[in-house]
Amino acid sequence: MRTTLLLLGLLLLPLTRLQAQAPPEPGDRLVGVWEPSHGKARVKIERIGSKYYGKIVWLREPNDPATGTPKVDKNNPDEALRTVPLRGYRLLKDFSYAGNDEWIEGTIYDPENGSTYSCVISMKDANTLDIRGYIGVKALGRTDVWKRLQAK
Amino acid sequence: MTGRLLLLALLLPAALRAQQDSIPAEEEEDYSQYDNLGFADEQARRYCSQKILDQSPARFISVQWDAQGAYDLRFSARGSWAEDADAPTAEQGSVRYTGGLRMQANIPVVSRNSIIWQLGATYWDTRYAIAHRVEAPESSGLMRQLADRGLRTTGLNTTLFKPLNETLFLVVQASADLSGDYFLDDPQGLQYLRYSAAGIWGKRPHDRLQWGVGLSRTYRVGALNYIPVVMYNHTAANRKWGLELLLPARGHYRRTFSPRSLLLTGYELEGQSYRIRGLSTAANSFEVRRGELRLRAEYQRQLKGFVWLSVQAGYRHDWSFDADELPEGREFFRGFFGDQPFAMLNSLGGAPYAQVGIHLVSP
Repeated sequence: MRTTLLLLGLLLLPLTRLQAQAPPEPGDRLVGVWEPSHGKARVKIERIGSKYYGKIVWLREPNDPATGTPKVDKNNPDEALRTVPLRGYRLLKDFSYAGNDEWIEGTIYDPENGSTYSCVISMKDANTLDIRGYIGVKALGRTDVWKRLQAK
Repeated sequence: MTGRLLLLALLLPAALRAQQDSIPAEEEEDYSQYDNLGFADEQARRYCSQKILDQSPARFISVQWDAQGAYDLRFSARGSWAEDADAPTAEQGSVRYTGGLRMQANIPVVSRNSIIWQLGATYWDTRYAIAHRVEAPESSGLMRQLADRGLRTTGLNTTLFKPLNETLFLVVQASADLSGDYFLDDPQGLQYLRYSAAGIWGKRPHDRLQWGVGLSRTYRVGALNYIPVVMYNHTAANRKWGLELLLPARGHYRRTFSPRSLLLTGYELEGQSYRIRGLSTAANSFEVRRGELRLRAEYQRQLKGFVWLSVQAGYRHDWSFDADELPEGREFFRGFFGDQPFAMLNSLGGAPYAQVGIHLVSP
């Protein structure tokens, strides 16, 4: 009986860990709300499991001027995804923290043209990110500087 | 029973971890909480982008083949001719085919919001297949030189885009080109490099408009010239069409079918000053001032990922194929109003042309 209770306790332990706040990890400095250089959107980066993701949480122009309805991912190469709302869209995916303020092996999606690029993120200081999207090798890429946002 | 519980206890944490790593379903979120945010760093600034929405994609690497159809040509004798002189024809003939390989690369060295600096390289090869040729005794033999050796341009260029704030920007571009009938295994001296440059001050009022004015030193019409330039890039509100102008060098109307395909119709002026080795000496550089006006349509589409195809067709109009003698290779400025004599007065008939290319485009 005592053994069974112990095992039940072991079973429930992970569930209680999930209920509680996930413990901070070194890469969590990336977590927060950031503004890309074009200033047309705000992106919330969060950790899900051991990886980092960023979704659009604000759009300067939330509605499509042509239709007056919320903007959707109309340039997605996959026709089935062209009705997905842009607000809430995850454009940063699968970043792993590699140490030295660098998050690697992720991708960034550009809703303007429907392209997905390989991407690395470097934190230059607590409020500045270098987001480098590239094709194959990092030399063939473009860096965008994102700035951290906070409540006014 | 105990064994099963033990197995479950061992496997469950891993299963839950895997579940955490996959992206959970989106929860409804109150997005209004992101309305009133400001920069955490009060010194942070915003800068304008170097491009506008739907602009034809910038190219990292391009490999193209250019081919012109048949046309006639007439060359004067070598001499000293005023621009409007009635120089007698010393060589005439017809060209069956003109064309060759064109390769370009533009690699960003620094790519940040506050500055973008690119370095590029160009190699153009143009071969002439002469169908027939008639030469008077006083002819220079230029047509034979073209048939035997063709023309090449090898160059390096750099472009700097410097946004000043959210709407204003500067563009500075410079290039050094070695043009002539040399071969790569026996290039001509660097003293024959020809330099072009342009500076533009511009404004980007919104995501669909960018304009600028500036000055350029150019060989676009063959000979050296200094001319004002106007940049105007615009995309219509319905995002179906736009204009891409860098006057007077080129101007295109753009029809956007999708983010992955577009059609440009318009023109481009292209040219260089080509040193002809067989007609030059140590004391002079004999240079053909080749300038072409190309009226054209170009269809561009994504092939896969970042690889794009371009197919271009149009009409090549001869702007200049005259020649100059440059003492010791030193360039001079004739401009539109100079009266320096030409070494040859030449004319080429117009020709249809086509160009096909593969490109690796920029993010």
